[in-house]
Amino acid sequence: MTQSIAGDFLSLLAGNSLAPFRPDVVGGAGGFTPTQATTVFAFQCADGVLMAGDRRATAGNQIVTDRVDKVLEIDATSLLAIAGVPATAFEMARVMQTSFEYYRRSQLQSLSLPAKVRALARLLRDNLPMTLQGIGIVAPLFAGLDTSTVPAKPRIYFYDPLGAQFQAVGYAASGSGSGSIRSVLSFQERHGSPKPTEMKIKEAVQFALRLLITASEFDSATGGVDPTTDSFATLKLLKPEGVVTITDAEQKEWLQA
Amino acid sequence: MTEEPYRWLEAVANRRDYVREQLKDGSPVFAASLDDGILLLGVGSGQSKVFELFDRHAMAGLGHPADIEKIRQAAIDAAHLEAFTRAPEDVSLRRLIGFGLGPQLKTAFEQIFSAPFLIELILAELGDSPEKDLLFRLRFDGTFQSRHGGILVAASQPGRETEAAAFLHSHLNASSQPAEAAARMLETWWCLTHAKPLGAEAPDQAERTAGWKTDLQDRVVEIGWLSRRAAKLARFETLSRESLGL
Repeated sequence: MTQSIAGDFLSLLAGNSLAPFRPDVVGGAGGFTPTQATTVFAFQCADGVLMAGDRRATAGNQIVTDRVDKVLEIDATSLLAIAGVPATAFEMARVMQTSFEYYRRSQLQSLSLPAKVRALARLLRDNLPMTLQGIGIVAPLFAGLDTSTVPAKPRIYFYDPLGAQFQAVGYAASGSGSGSIRSVLSFQERHGSPKPTEMKIKEAVQFALRLLITASEFDSATGGVDPTTDSFATLKLLKPEGVVTITDAEQKEWLQA
Repeated sequence: MTEEPYRWLEAVANRRDYVREQLKDGSPVFAASLDDGILLLGVGSGQSKVFELFDRHAMAGLGHPADIEKIRQAAIDAAHLEAFTRAPEDVSLRRLIGFGLGPQLKTAFEQIFSAPFLIELILAELGDSPEKDLLFRLRFDGTFQSRHGGILVAASQPGRETEAAAFLHSHLNASSQPAEAAARMLETWWCLTHAKPLGAEAPDQAERTAGWKTDLQDRVVEIGWLSRRAAKLARFETLSRESLGL
């Protein structure tokens, strides 16, 4: 599935019945379609922020791989979840990893959370030409530790493809399967028991895996979770003490608990 | 002056004397390769002696703070540029020193119309085991020696530095615990800074321990730890005296 935003260049041309590319080159049958990574989300749980992503990357109706890690540890207190074109998103992650660590080591202090949030916004804005061409859209989620409070509190941010940044109160989701996930999260937060914010880590992991299974039933671009084939998600927990990766073995055990 | 070789040699010799004189009161630093990681230790004022450079790299030094800072920044710049251009796995201490810091320090030392760097440094690279750890001793004139594993000392007087390294080698090995290694390093630090012997005539352990504990009341022990067991990319962490029970 090729993502687009209202008013992008390709939409504008299409609205005026102009075809900028030969249909067999971009997006047409048998032609080049950019790879997309889909469906990531994060929510506040009792232990911190749990960030999750399925492991599927698609190009049109083709499954490119089911082994992508879309939740990336940027530094000891920041996580990035990528949805959109991986070629651009992975490069953004690499720039963030290097620049955050470079700042911390050279200045002997960590970059503040607002500066980290803006750094990603700036990368998205720098990607504007690719976004408007309709072939390089990235819509990431970011989680970072707010050290201005005691104890430090993990926060969730989401972005639009042009770089606008928004802080999410309880949860955020991005990618093609995000609609289903946002619906369930909204329901659980308003009417469910326990609410996501009350879930301890095992319960939160089980909930996240079930969310991905649900999303994969309605969106073919979302890879599911299948314990019988050892196909699991990428799950990371951001706590005040740092980042914890939830292993496949833990996911298997807690999903079946 | 540079057209007259004997005056140039004399000028370089004078610079060497000048640097040693400037460094003579410097507080020594130590590094030891242990089973679980590399321990670096210095006594200073906090963030002044022991520094993280990159994921598996750290540095400890004595000398003029501004010169230490220049070398630290140069090493961090080079390491991150290499990591971003190629990959973090390509950052190597051997190349960083052999092709970067060493030649720069030699050039600065031999340019007799500009100020030399007033530094003595230890740089460490964490390997998969103590035998694969790389420790470099980098001097103010750009000369450097490396060793795999073991212990290194950087002090202002070469003779005392050798004594201190021998003393630590006789008291520590790779299986020593970080707390024990730090305690022996602090005892050695006290002997060096108080001109106490370090051979067979060294003060007994009780005196050495009481000595450094008294001296450190208004100073900061800077302890860096490159952890071999950590599951994260950045292996460096700062340890406190309290965390080691010192």
